[in-house]
Amino acid sequence: MSQTLQAAARFDAETTPLVEMRGIEKHFGGVVAVDGVSLDLRPGEVVGVLGHNGAGKSCLMRILSGAMAPSRGEIRIAGDVVEMGSPQDARAHGVETIYQTLALADHLDAPSNLFLGRELKTRFGNLDDKRMLAEARKVLATLNPNFTNLKDPVSSLSGGQRQVIAIARAIYFDVKILIMDEPTAALGPSETAMVADLIRKLRAQGIGIFLVSHDMHDVFDLCDRVVVMNKGKLVGAHDIDEVHKDDILSLIIKGELPTDWRPRNLGELEAAR
Amino acid sequence: MANISQPSQGAWTRMLPNSAAAFHRISALLTLAILVIAFSFASPAFLSVNNTLTILLQTSVIGLLGIGMTMVIITGGIDLSVGSVLALSGTVTGMMVKAGVPVVPAMMLGVCMGAACGLFNGFVVTKMKITPFVATLGMMLIARGAALQLTGAAPISQLGEAFGVLGNGALFRVVEMGDNGFPRVIFPGIPYPAILLVVVAIVASYMLRRRAIGRHIYATGSNEEAARLSGVLVDRTKLIAYTLSGALAGVAGNVLMSRLITAQPSEGVMYELDAIAAAVIGGASLMGGVGGISGTMIGAFIIGVLRNGLNMGGVSSFIQQIVIGFVVIGAVYIDQLRNRR
Ligand SMILES: Nc1ncnc2c1ncn2[C@@H]1O[C@H](COP(=O)(O)OP(=O)(O)OP(=O)(O)O)[C@@H](O)[C@H]1O
Ligand SMILES: [Mg+2]
Repeated sequence: MSQTLQAAARFDAETTPLVEMRGIEKHFGGVVAVDGVSLDLRPGEVVGVLGHNGAGKSCLMRILSGAMAPSRGEIRIAGDVVEMGSPQDARAHGVETIYQTLALADHLDAPSNLFLGRELKTRFGNLDDKRMLAEARKVLATLNPNFTNLKDPVSSLSGGQRQVIAIARAIYFDVKILIMDEPTAALGPSETAMVADLIRKLRAQGIGIFLVSHDMHDVFDLCDRVVVMNKGKLVGAHDIDEVHKDDILSLIIKGELPTDWRPRNLGELEAAR
Repeated sequence: MANISQPSQGAWTRMLPNSAAAFHRISALLTLAILVIAFSFASPAFLSVNNTLTILLQTSVIGLLGIGMTMVIITGGIDLSVGSVLALSGTVTGMMVKAGVPVVPAMMLGVCMGAACGLFNGFVVTKMKITPFVATLGMMLIARGAALQLTGAAPISQLGEAFGVLGNGALFRVVEMGDNGFPRVIFPGIPYPAILLVVVAIVASYMLRRRAIGRHIYATGSNEEAARLSGVLVDRTKLIAYTLSGALAGVAGNVLMSRLITAQPSEGVMYELDAIAAAVIGGASLMGGVGGISGTMIGAFIIGVLRNGLNMGGVSSFIQQIVIGFVVIGAVYIDQLRNRR
């Protein structure tokens, strides 16, 4: 119970949110993929983003990561309005992304992918493959101790290994805001547990995380807050303590809470008051 | 049992992908060796110093074009314009020389002309979003038309001795005055075009393997969207590849015209196909992301040796086309067999 109150206190109104998205829209011709979404993320907060397939979760995340320009809307990072014109812009603001598609170059090996676009170089501007290999070995080992085939093209790796590379790439650099679009979809149970540990560790460091997931268990296990998208619209945003899994399912499927909904922790809240 | 076989199997599979690229190069190298041996048995003159130099000269043009082509192919594109750009560049140089410009700056201008054509290709591909096949097909017609128009379709000859040095000169050439008053060649030297080819190949290989731009070229061809999301400037990468291809076509044009000591606006027709064949025989994939300079060099020499050897054997150029056509298909087929494993 005291834990709940502490959690609430961590996100009081005074801390400036890391991310403030306001009125984000994305149109593809006639299709409205994201429809006027406003959403905040605070330091050290894990926000679960849920919704049916095609709800617009990935589009919203891609807009924040600079991969896609919004049709309308505004993004603030640490209080300042920013233009996310390219993935480089987003990275410059500390936004790192694990894309649902992983975004790996199949013919390159793991270190080359990890450092793609941000290669380590020697004094003469040559690629420092030795150092990149050593660094990659280090960071990959923290996620999957069995990762040894670092010199193979990533096309020959398993889905889980590929996902681990995408995760490693996002956390290796100076990350403040982490977007994880279904990061554990291809992972086995032990790797998933490692990613869960990683998320807790990053959150403790004050990093803000958007976790897009279909796994209700993970979401309830890891998130402080959960938001639900339905047909491009944000239909719900709740502290994880005040909802049941069934409430969230109802939001995902029907786009609204059950009519008889009451906050799960109503008793606690009243007791605290 | 399982315990014994597993480690060795693991080691084997780990080696496979790396050895796969090497496998292709080795098989291409083997093909080249077999060709050389077969031709030298068929005709003793094949391995003579003079004929070896001829092969070097002939291969240098395909090789230069092939290096640029390889970079473009690795990005997932293709450059059909190199044969025409070669002609336009050589023609521009010839006209400059004719107009009184000294040879070296004239040649530089010719190479710049080629680079400009390549830059235009890159612009059409990246900014106008036209597929490389169509974009460079357009440039193929534009450059050829320009070369023919500029010259009135007539070759420019009598360009002077200095113009012929690049194509006909050689390093370490040793000539002795004979007793009969005629010069006697003791060592024919290393032809400049061959030296140029080696230098360009080494620089290009260094660029592709050791510099960030090279890595970005591979990444762009491997998965363009992934490269973009990783922060690779995909458009800039492609622009550089096409510009280099154009510039190298310009260099090749100058080498070729210098060798003929004539600027020929109708030279280089279908050379782009030889360049593509060299890259593909050397292991480059038209799907992008795969290829290398050493492979392309082997491919260029296979084509050069094949042409030369068949010529010496009195085989008609039509039959040569047929043979090279089958070689290209065979090389790609072997490559696919390897990838299917
Ligand atoms: N590049 C695009 N061009 C056209 N339509 C698109 C594009 N990207 C996404 N869409 C559309 O936008 C909508 C939202 O897609 P999005 O990928 O954001 O869904 P999602 O919530 O991530 O779904 P999933 O759970 O399957 O990953 C879909 O209707 C999709 O068809
Ligand atoms: Mg998605």
